[in-house]
Amino acid sequence: MYKLINHIISNEPSTVQRLADNAFIPFDPTNTDYQEYLKWLAEGNEPIPADVL
Amino acid sequence: MSDLSVNSILDATGGATTTINGFTPTVSNMAGRNKIINGGMGIDQRATSVTGANWTVDRYYYNTGTASKGTAAQSATAPTGFVNSLLFTSSSAYSVAVSDYFGFQQPIEGMNISDLAWGTADAKTVTLSFWVRSSLTGTFGGSLRNSGAARSYVFSYTISVADTWEYKTITILGDTSGTWLTTNGVGIFVHITLAAGANNLGTASSWSGSNLLGPTGQTSVVGTNGATFYITGVQLEAGSVATPFEHRQYGQELALCQRYFRKMLATVIYARFASGFCENTTRASTYIPFPTVMRSAPTFTTSGSFAVYSGNSVVTSVTVNASDFTPISCAINGDGSGFTVGQGALILAHNDAAAFMALSAEL
Repeated sequence: MYKLINHIISNEPSTVQRLADNAFIPFDPTNTDYQEYLKWLAEGNEPIPADVL
Repeated sequence: MSDLSVNSILDATGGATTTINGFTPTVSNMAGRNKIINGGMGIDQRATSVTGANWTVDRYYYNTGTASKGTAAQSATAPTGFVNSLLFTSSSAYSVAVSDYFGFQQPIEGMNISDLAWGTADAKTVTLSFWVRSSLTGTFGGSLRNSGAARSYVFSYTISVADTWEYKTITILGDTSGTWLTTNGVGIFVHITLAAGANNLGTASSWSGSNLLGPTGQTSVVGTNGATFYITGVQLEAGSVATPFEHRQYGQELALCQRYFRKMLATVIYARFASGFCENTTRASTYIPFPTVMRSAPTFTTSGSFAVYSGNSVVTSVTVNASDFTPISCAINGDGSGFTVGQGALILAHNDAAAFMALSAEL
């Protein structure tokens, strides 16, 4: 399971948190953890929405 | 001035090398030829043993889809000239299923194999060399694969004597087919196989358009309870000759590893990790530059207890997260309460010498 994290200035999602190990994953298409997140999304899953800062 | 054009330069006694301005060039002192990082298994930032698919010593992934059949970890058992090896110890007598696989894998970044010109008519020959030792004897092997899992070269070698270090060299004609990335993606997967089922095994010493891991007849290290397999001195280089292992300085090897993974371990109970300021009453925002450019913007994880030191007080019960990632830096945020806006802040370990932060840009 993942949760979106908003940026403190823009208040828009800028990071995704992998809840299983509390990892913070950047939106970088060459990051392998982000690639796994995109696969998870493609399977029809949805992340927990970000908290509004 | 004039140019010297000769076929060879010999020393006065007829040897094959001579001295140039006091330096004797030999293949063994040419730097940068080993495409494997941490081939001597000396860098182990994670310092942990693994029983399922996961990273072990730096740049090496214990590759399996079947957990709990053995343990992979750094070892102090090594052949002369080395200090460490990577060890797998079987924990049961497991019969592999047809789709099983077990092995040590290093993904080499594409930018580091661009000179090999694989996937073109000019593909260069490479030579893989390593020291290996096992409690078992027989046929062993591995493979070189591309990132698309559509090209693989299976190699095999024999371990002749149990519990004895043996040096192996394997020369492989470069692949003139397929797609071999020269980006910051995976260029070549180098896989040292411990065991595999029939679906992952194939004919040795040939390229195939499939995703094979080892040779038909591969000995199964997981098939014998307590069986051991050690490897070190892994080198992959251009050419058809295995040159002596390239021993880099420790700092060089560590920096190469930190392009992919960096662990910041407290080591003392109130170690400082990062400095910044209190962005609001609940967040201390700090910044860390990375010591080397990472392969990608990294993933951030933590372990242990942290605090924020701001003004003249230490706020405990702090949760740490990160944001604003690039390959050269990120923000580290300490979330707590009672901070004074605008005041300087340090994020530190809280009475926890084992606390750490980690950055991963592994392939």
